[in-house]
Parts: sequence; structure tokens; C-alpha cells
Amino acid sequence: MKKDMILEKSNLSYWLRQLRKEMLLIGPMHGENGDIVLKTVENIHEIVLDCPALIPSPKEFLFPQKEEMFGFSTEGTKNYRNSKRRLIFGVRSCDVSAIGLLDRFYGGKFIDDYYTARRENTVFISVGCNKPDPTCFCNGLGTGPFLSSGFDIQFSDLGDRYLVEIGSEHGLSIVKKFSHLFSKPQKSDYDDQYEAILSSHAMFEKRINLENARQKILSGSVEDSFWAGVAERCFECGGCVYECPLCTCFNVIDRKYSAIEGVRLRNWDTCMFRGFTKMAVNVWPAEKKIMRTKRWYFHKLLYYPEQFGRFGCVGCGRCTITCPGRIDMATIAYRLKVGNNED
Amino acid sequence: MVNYHKMDKIPTICPYCGCGCGLYLHVEEGNIIGVSPIRHHPVNRGALCVKGWNSFEFIQHPERLKYPLIKENGVFKKSSWDEAIRLVAGRLTDIKKSYGPDSIGVMSSAKCTNEENYLIMKFARAAIGTNNIDHCARLCHSSTVGGLAVAFGSGAMTNSISEIADAKVLFVIGSNTTEQHPMIGMHMLDAVDKGATLIVADPRRTQISEFAHIHLRQKSGTDVVLLNSMMNVIINEGLVDIPFIKRRTENFDAFERVIREYPPDVAEKITGVSPHDIKKAARVYATEKRAMLFYSMGITQHITGVDNVRSCANLCMLTAHIGQPMTGLNPLRGQNNVQGACDMGALPDVYSGYQKVIEPSARKKFEQAWGRKLPSKPGLTLTEMFDAVLTERIKAMYIVGENPLISDPDSSHIREALEKLDFLVVQDIFMSDTAEFADVVLPAVTFAEKEGTFTNTERRVQKINRAIRPMYGSMPDWRIISEISKKMGYNMEYRATHEIMEEIALLTPSYRGILHHRLDGNFGLQWPCLDPDHPGTPFLHRKKFAKGLGTFIPADYIPPKESPDKKFPFLLTTGRIYFHYHTGTMCRRTSTLEREYPECCAEINPEDANTAGIKHNSMIKVSSRRGTITVRAYLTDRVSKGTIFIPFHFREASVNLLTNPALDPLAKIPEYKVCAVRIEPVL
Amino acid sequence: MRTDLKEIYLPLKARVVEIVDMTADVKLFRVMPEDAFNYKPGQFIMVSLWGVGEVPISITSTYGIHEYVELCIKRVGHVTSAIHCLKSGDIIGIRGPFGNGFTIGKTKGKDILFIAGGIGIAPLRSLINGVLQTTPPFNSSLDKGIPPLNSPLNKGGRRGVLQLIYGSRNPSDVLFNDELNTWQKKGMHIILTVDKKDTAWKGNTGIVTKHLNKLRVTVKNAHAFVCGPHVMIDAVMRDLSSMGMHEDNIITTLEAHMKCGIGKCGHCYAGGKYICTDGPVFSYGEIKRYNLKWP
Repeated sequence: MKKDMILEKSNLSYWLRQLRKEMLLIGPMHGENGDIVLKTVENIHEIVLDCPALIPSPKEFLFPQKEEMFGFSTEGTKNYRNSKRRLIFGVRSCDVSAIGLLDRFYGGKFIDDYYTARRENTVFISVGCNKPDPTCFCNGLGTGPFLSSGFDIQFSDLGDRYLVEIGSEHGLSIVKKFSHLFSKPQKSDYDDQYEAILSSHAMFEKRINLENARQKILSGSVEDSFWAGVAERCFECGGCVYECPLCTCFNVIDRKYSAIEGVRLRNWDTCMFRGFTKMAVNVWPAEKKIMRTKRWYFHKLLYYPEQFGRFGCVGCGRCTITCPGRIDMATIAYRLKVGNNED
Repeated sequence: MVNYHKMDKIPTICPYCGCGCGLYLHVEEGNIIGVSPIRHHPVNRGALCVKGWNSFEFIQHPERLKYPLIKENGVFKKSSWDEAIRLVAGRLTDIKKSYGPDSIGVMSSAKCTNEENYLIMKFARAAIGTNNIDHCARLCHSSTVGGLAVAFGSGAMTNSISEIADAKVLFVIGSNTTEQHPMIGMHMLDAVDKGATLIVADPRRTQISEFAHIHLRQKSGTDVVLLNSMMNVIINEGLVDIPFIKRRTENFDAFERVIREYPPDVAEKITGVSPHDIKKAARVYATEKRAMLFYSMGITQHITGVDNVRSCANLCMLTAHIGQPMTGLNPLRGQNNVQGACDMGALPDVYSGYQKVIEPSARKKFEQAWGRKLPSKPGLTLTEMFDAVLTERIKAMYIVGENPLISDPDSSHIREALEKLDFLVVQDIFMSDTAEFADVVLPAVTFAEKEGTFTNTERRVQKINRAIRPMYGSMPDWRIISEISKKMGYNMEYRATHEIMEEIALLTPSYRGILHHRLDGNFGLQWPCLDPDHPGTPFLHRKKFAKGLGTFIPADYIPPKESPDKKFPFLLTTGRIYFHYHTGTMCRRTSTLEREYPECCAEINPEDANTAGIKHNSMIKVSSRRGTITVRAYLTDRVSKGTIFIPFHFREASVNLLTNPALDPLAKIPEYKVCAVRIEPVL
Repeated sequence: MRTDLKEIYLPLKARVVEIVDMTADVKLFRVMPEDAFNYKPGQFIMVSLWGVGEVPISITSTYGIHEYVELCIKRVGHVTSAIHCLKSGDIIGIRGPFGNGFTIGKTKGKDILFIAGGIGIAPLRSLINGVLQTTPPFNSSLDKGIPPLNSPLNKGGRRGVLQLIYGSRNPSDVLFNDELNTWQKKGMHIILTVDKKDTAWKGNTGIVTKHLNKLRVTVKNAHAFVCGPHVMIDAVMRDLSSMGMHEDNIITTLEAHMKCGIGKCGHCYAGGKYICTDGPVFSYGEIKRYNLKWP
């Protein structure tokens, strides 16, 4: 489904305020000293549009870093599945694109009910990017700066108004009740959006071609010495995985509150750790860092395309920001092109 | 005011190492569900290390201490705060009356805020009336505080972390930076990427050494010789900065005479480093203007800790590598607030701002402010306090957030002392091995449940913010202390921590302009900050040293107290590993960190293992003259032949049963980095 | 919004009915799930102990033959150690069954070689009992145990030769000793071998690959099911392949660290496949094709 509307900017606050009555409104807000973070919106006029890539990615609202799964006691188990209604306003196209892929990953033959319960109660409003960061490279992946489908609602900033594209039933549900706030778009609105898209594309500093990187790896010409050079710089912080809007791995642990009561929870986990694959009794199948760095890149560059038909990367640039060793996706793709030692 | 019912992100400071990284705690309905890095923070710039990323899990761990515990007939019983405080205050007052105030020892904590350290210091000095106050800096950087105070007049990093990336030479000695101060390591790699030359001096092969242009693998405990020899080359080759030495330093001649004794070929015999490498390192370091020297526990934790530190200072002065941006001497502090705990005077000889207790004017100032007569004799250091327990000079101890039973050398000795105490109070967030010996255990809160400030290794005073209410029945340390003090008849009335900070500012020249409201929203202030408009000081000793002239203090080589011999043929060196922190109270309750490194492993060179018949991952016994532990062998060439490395995080294989309690004569820091052991396979 | 979401991470309660000590560190648990529970050979379940954790355990019983779900568990880590402390009557949690399981359709009428090392006999037992059930019971009057062609039990045609090579560390580690006799009686050729023999041991010694020269099966046409420690699996698969067995007919089960069993947690992911959902049963061909070891 797709339905387009126009929303005057002056109507935005009113609309969000009404929506906030029935769902938790989350948006980009000022954090510490120039930072912008996604959190509960206290004052609607403080929402920061035109924000840079938010750290961490909005996957935290669907797949939190720590999530209680269920409690157990002598009475049995109690599922803590979260189905609170949320509206997440002001995320970027790359993130929405990533969520599209997460939906497929957590769905499928076995449906992850914790993710799905959150997802089905969350509406994302993305704003087409007119201010990409220097670290961004979604333009080369088709995951931004604007999307043509796959969103709940996409806003395009047209100066005094937004072109509101509704891409899902989810999205429609929060527009329908307030149809008096919206009008029908004219052809000129689409022309203006096209201008916005063009000028956004012109602003990207990075040109990263992951397909090149994939072909290079598939050709077998990338030697292990290349990956050894990458692994050497890995700090084993896990930041690339924690930040990545597409990384889905988790660990499951039990916490006991008393002899008979406790909770099972899951935490973000990362394949960059040697313990990630540890088997009982001191067997560490991925003791060497090179195995783990290779795994991450191979997964994103080779296996995602096989399984889902697209890369395991949306070009959000978060790993570029967060990697202390500077071995992020963009850098590696570039290095694969030019070799390890050149700059 | 925090809204406890929504998804909020509270900016605060990481509770692990001295980097002082900025992070957000993600709070949802009173639960901490995650963390993320502060993107614009000058230290971590949107990155975090694995401990930072996982720094939230222990906060709401069910094993947190939930209520005060009082030991009755050897068993802990739940008690009310009222009862516990009354008991502690009463017992301390009794002991003070019977044996005098110096029969009580107080251990503060480098994990607590500045405000709390100040208050604990005030509690010891004013409420109890003793200078017997110390904290774990004794075990990590007391040699720095002592050594640099005499050389420069200030024992802290001279530069800022954000300057590192633009330096041209980085000389890292005795610091496993990428693992122990990962975010500083990040800046170092950036510098290397920009073309800086990296010199690493470390007996072990560490991650940072893989990037070194020159890696000097000196024998443990021979740092003085290595540094002296480098300085010998610098003097001989005329690479010294004569105008600087003339105008800004003193005692050069005496110093030079000693240095003459250490030509590289002599040094080679002691350190095992080739003259070629020594010369190369010396030339590279001396000839570049923007050269930063970094050191950490590898320098300080020796009986020659102070000498090592002074030698580093000498090297900097000799080449005028100090007093400018990207140029200086940088001790990397271990704990999140160890700099602050020292600044606040949680030390036996100084008040806040390193104002000496023996100085009548300083004492008078504090006496006036606190309204009590204060003791004039410096107190006992942490290491001395335990000895004093055994000689019955100390009858009671008040330990805040420390676990000396695991962290201090020769644990059997500490155990004996803890058992002997008449009265022991431990204030902590989890039940620790030390707390098991306590008469009263008081539940304190973590960094996420209180407000205050931490001072990181670059002297940056940063605010931490309360994200959740205190868990269970716990109370912030500063509240506990003021309640007990009040009960002991010395009133401490503070409504909030910013009031304590105001008092600190009033009494501490270097913190004069540091007030809570100035710290919000701009990543804190770096001391010295001399008035309420002062912008803070990114680098020290610009025009003159804090004490005026810098002093060259020569150091001669003194071998480690205990060297390998026939009976104990291996040199044991101890340290930390990336995934863990100190005695593991927090990190070992964090699932990811615990999984990555679940048990104590001894690093052994494969050749040595082969000779001893030890297989990778097999169990071995490591014994010293003081004890024996059983650990898993990890064969790696990270350690050189003849050396064993064991981390000290693991209570089940506590390496401090083995370490030598030999102390540096000045700083009283124990020699954790060298002792002699033997190894044998467990069959 | 939908309400039909399955609680896929919530374990099903199961009662431990009986515990059999097999060896010093292996116990057999017979458990009774609260709800109907069916499974096929080669599948595994996630076994939960509240407050301790959850581990993947392969099922050793055969649905339709055994009344209870049987788990043969070796004490190796902290969860399995805790499981070993259970008493009969205790409640555990189970999820599953997960995994693809063995496909035996292709083996109808063909020779089948089973090779087990140590605890690897557990998943094979489920398969062996299944195979023996779908073919008629051995009748000594019939020639070599081959059932009549028109037997309704043998829809696919004649049963081929069945052979098992089973290696243990030492004689006291041999599992399912009684059942080995039953299988032999039903016509299976069995080579039992130990790494270290004791004085009483009269049988074979040495690792399983040492006995690959005594095969009764016709290698070119046979199917092999190999379970055991991965060093053994590697060696056996390599040898069988070089002896001429088709790579796609050499079948094994892979082991990995797992947290979910449903392809979400990522721990068992390798070479683009999830061991838990795409496996754990893979052929040697697949293992090579997908590079199912670490890249």
C-alpha cells in the first residue's frame, strides 16, 4: 500500500501531541553537549530534525541491549513480552531500511515473539535525509537518503510542509484519525521532493561500493594477511556490532533473585568475542581474532546477499564513528579496493 | 529531575578505568537497559571499550547488598540503617576513647566520587581525628604522586587525551594501553596513523607493541637502567635542551654524573635490550618536539617505583618535553576516580589539593573550616595499616569500596590482619571477600544511583548523574558517612553533593573554580581551575613547573627485591586483562565479560612450558615463597622466556597469595611486577 | 494487532522420570514432557534449568519406540553439571525439537554405516533404532537378515547391510552396552573399539579410523552417519571420501554453542548457515561447499 499526504509544518506539533496521548513518543533530542539521542520526547518543540546518525541505532527499541524474556518461579513462567505502543519519530531512511531486514530476520519460520511484539506496536516515522554525515554511504546501497518503499511513514521536508508518504497499515493507522490535518499532494510537491532528493545525493562525501568488495572477496584474491592486518587493529569492544542496525546476535542468561525465583534475559552479544562460540570445557573455536573479523565481514558482504538478496549493511556509518581501531565497513571496503597499506 | 517512567538517556561517566569516557545510561521505567557512548566526548568520541559497553549489567544485579548487615556470633544478620549506624558510631567512639584516634584506620575508594572521598577524608581527620586514611592509589600510582611531586610539584598527566592524536612521538613504557586504557589507545593508534613514531618499552608483547616502530623488551624491574641509558645517549650525542635545563630545572650536574654510569652496553647486560635499540629510541624521542611519554603500572609497581617515575621525569626535562601541548609526561591512572581520590586528600599526608598536613598554615585552614583540632603527624599508608593491625596499633578499620584481601600483596598476611581487628566496617555494593570479615557491612550505591564528580586521568573533573533510585535499601556513600559522623558527634550537613563540592572548591586551590553547575553540558573542567571563570588547564607546567624549578633526581639501579633463583626460577609479573577489572566485583557479575575470560590463566612462554612438561590449557601449580595457586596454563609468546604473567582479578586463584609485599621505601607501593616463582603441572 | 504469537522462548515443563548412570560422567535422563511432543532422529532440544541456563542436547530416544524422551548427557559445563544433580521427579524445561534431523529416505535399501565416537552414539542411537524398526526384525531362518521383498515393513525394498563402528576412550566408557547386543541380534555388524584397553578387554583397540578396513558395507553405494568429537568426524569423513564414498552420502551432526535453537541468537552461525536450523545434520559435501567451519 502507499498513500501520500501533505502536512503543513505548523500542524506537526499538534498531531504529535495528539498521538502522544495513546503512545509513547520517542524522538531525537539533545543529549550531552552537541549530542543528539533518541529518547522520550518531553517537549515536542525540542525535537531535533536534520540530526546526524543517532547512536545507537533505533534497533534498541525493538531489540534492546538487555531484555527480560520471562520470569520463573515455583508457580511457573511469566512472559515479559513488551507490547507498549510507541511512535518513533525522526529516524533516518537507513535505519528504516535496516528494520525492514530485521523484520524478515526475526520473522521467517520461527518468529521471534519478543521482537515481533515490539515491532507490531511501534510506528516509525522517518525523515528523508537532507543532511548526510561525512560518514554516511547509504546512497551507494539504495538504503537512503530517501526510500521509495519499506517505511511506515516517510517525511520529506519541502520547506514549509512535509510530503508524508504512508507505506504500511501501521503508518496509516496514525494518520487516518487525523485526516483533517493532512491535504492531498500536488504535482509540484513531488517536484520539490525530487529536488530535495537530488540535492541530498549531491552532499555525500563517501562513495563506497560494497559490490566491489564482495566480488573481490569472492574472487579469492584477498589473502589472509589482509584480514590479519584488520584483526590486529580490533580492540574487541564489540562496538561495531552493538551499533550496527542489522546485527542481531544475543546471549541468553539466567539471573536468580532467590533460590526459586529469577528471570531469563537476553543481552546483545557479538561475534567479535572469542567466547561467543565457546563450547563447554575450554574449547574456543574462534580463538584467533582474524577468524572473528573475517566472520563479521563475510556475513555482511557474502552471506546476507545469499540469504536476503541485499547486503548486511545500510551505510549508516555508525561503525565508522564507533570503531576505536578504525576498521569499520567503509574503511575495509575502501581498503579492499586499494590494498591494506595505502591511504 | 529524572522521569522514572519513560525511556531516558542519562549522560554519565564510565565507572571502570581512568579514561573517564562519557556514556549514556538508557533507563526505562527504572530499569537500566543499556548504554551508549557520548559521541562528542573528548576522550571516547563515540566509542567505548568492552567494559564500557557492558558497564550497566552489574548495577541491578540481584546479588547487590540490600540492607545493612551486622555480624552476630559469626553470622551476618539483616539490620536497619538506624541500628547499623548507631553500632558503627558507638564502636568507633569507644575504640577512639580507649586507644586513641590513631587506632582507627580508614580506607577510602577510588571508585567513589570526589565528594565522597573528600567527606571520608574529613570523617577520618575531623570526626575520628586521625590521618590514617589511604586508598588503593597506594597500590598503583603512589610512586607517581610521590615522584612527580618532588620533580615537578604535581603528580598528574601533564597533557590532555585529545592532544595525543597530534603528537609526533609516543613513548609508552610499562603500559598495556590498548587493553587497560583502550580509549587512550585509540588516540595513540590515530597518532600512528597520522605518522607518529611509537616506541613501546614492555617486557610483554602487547597489542600496542604490535604497532610500535621500536619495541624494547627490557627485563622486568630494570626500567631505571633503560631510561638512564637512553638519557646517557641523549647527553652524549648532544640532544639535550640546554636553555630549558638552565632556565627551568635544578640539580642537573649531580644527575649527569649518575647518568654517565649507564652507557648502552652496560645497560644491555642488565636490561637485555640491545644498544642499537636504546640509541634509536633515545634519538627518536629526543629529536622530535611533540613527544609524549606515557607510563602506567609497569613503572610504578616496583620497589623502585619512585625512581622509575623520577627517571621518566628526568627524561622529559632533559629534552624539554614538557609544558607544551602534545608534549609531556603522562601517567595513566587506573581507577575511574583514582586521580580524584588523590586530589581530595584520601592520603595519609595531605589534605585536598595536596596541601600537606605537616604544613601548619594548611592545617590551620582546615581546622578553621572544619571546626576541629586536626592531627599534625602524617598517618599510616594502606600497606602499613595492615602491619599496624598485627602489632595492635590499629584496632578498627573502616573500608569503603575496597577489597584488600584480593588486591593487596601477600593475601595471607592481610587475612591475618582482618581476623585480628577488633572492629571492621566494610561499605560496598557487593559482598566482597574482605567484607566477609566485617562486623558491619553497609550497602552503598553504584555510580548510576548517585550524583557527584569523577576526575579522570587527564585531570578532567566530570559530573556523574543519577539514573535510577538507589537499589533495594542501599544509600550513597556520602550519606552513610555523614550519618555516622553525625552520630559520632561531628555534624556534616549537606543536602546534596553540590554543597560538598562548594566546600571542596573553597578549600582546594586547584579545584577553586570547579562547581557542579559549571560541569554540566561541557564535559567537565580540567584542574587546575583557579577561579569560577577559569576555563581549566589542558596541559601543565607551561611557563614554570608547579613547584617552580623542575628537579633532576638521579636514580641508581636497584635490582628487584626477589629475583629468580634455583628454587624459584621464574619471574612472575602481575597485571590486568582487558575483559576484567581489579578484583572482579563488577565485571565478574557481567555476563559477557565473565564469559570471555572465566578463569585465571597464567601466560607462559611455550619454550618454558615445554621444558616443564606443561600443555596449553592444562592446570598448573604456581608457587612462591609465600603461597601456591592453581591456574590454567596459557601458552603464548606474549611473555618472554623465564617470565610468567598472571592477572589478579580472580579470587579463586588469587595471585596476591604469591606476590612479594616488599615496598618502595618512599611511596610504600608493593612490588607487584616482580617476584620469583616456580611452576609445575598438576597431574 | 496480532495476538497469535507463539511463545517460542518459553520452555515446556517436563518431568524427569528416571535417571540411569551410564558411566562416570554420562547419565541417561528419561523425561516426560507435559504436552504432546514428537521428534525425529538427529533433532535436538534445548534443556533449561531455571537460574542455571539452557543447553542444546540431542535426543537419543526414538519417537514411537520409546515412551519417554531420552537424553544422554555428558557432564562438561556448568549447565550439564547442574543437570547431573537432578533427581527423578524434578522438573526441567524443554524447547524443541529443533534442527533438521537425519533424512533416511535416501538410504532405503542401501548399506548403512554408522560410526560413533564417545557420546556421539547418542544421536545415532535414535537413528539406529528407527532404521531397525522400519525394517523387519531379524529372523535367523531368513538369509542374512534380508527381509522378503514384499514385506509391508520394507516399502523401499531390501534392507542393505548395517554396520556400526563405535569407539570409546576405554571399556568403562562404552554406552548402551545392552542395546549393542540387541542390535547385533537384529543383524547389525558391530565393531566396538577402545582407545585404552584394560586387562579385561578382549575386543578391538585403537581409534575408529583404524577399523575402516573391516567394512562389510559396499562403500560406493553406502550411506554413512558419523557422530562424535570433531577431530574424529574430520578424519572419518576424509577417509570415507577417499575410499570412494560419495561426499553427499557421508552424514554428520555438527555441534556449536547455541542459545536459541531457532536461528536467531547467531552463536552457531557459520558459512552462511545456522547449525541449529539448517543443521545440525549436514553431509560432508555440504560442509565443504558452505565452508561450515569458521571462515
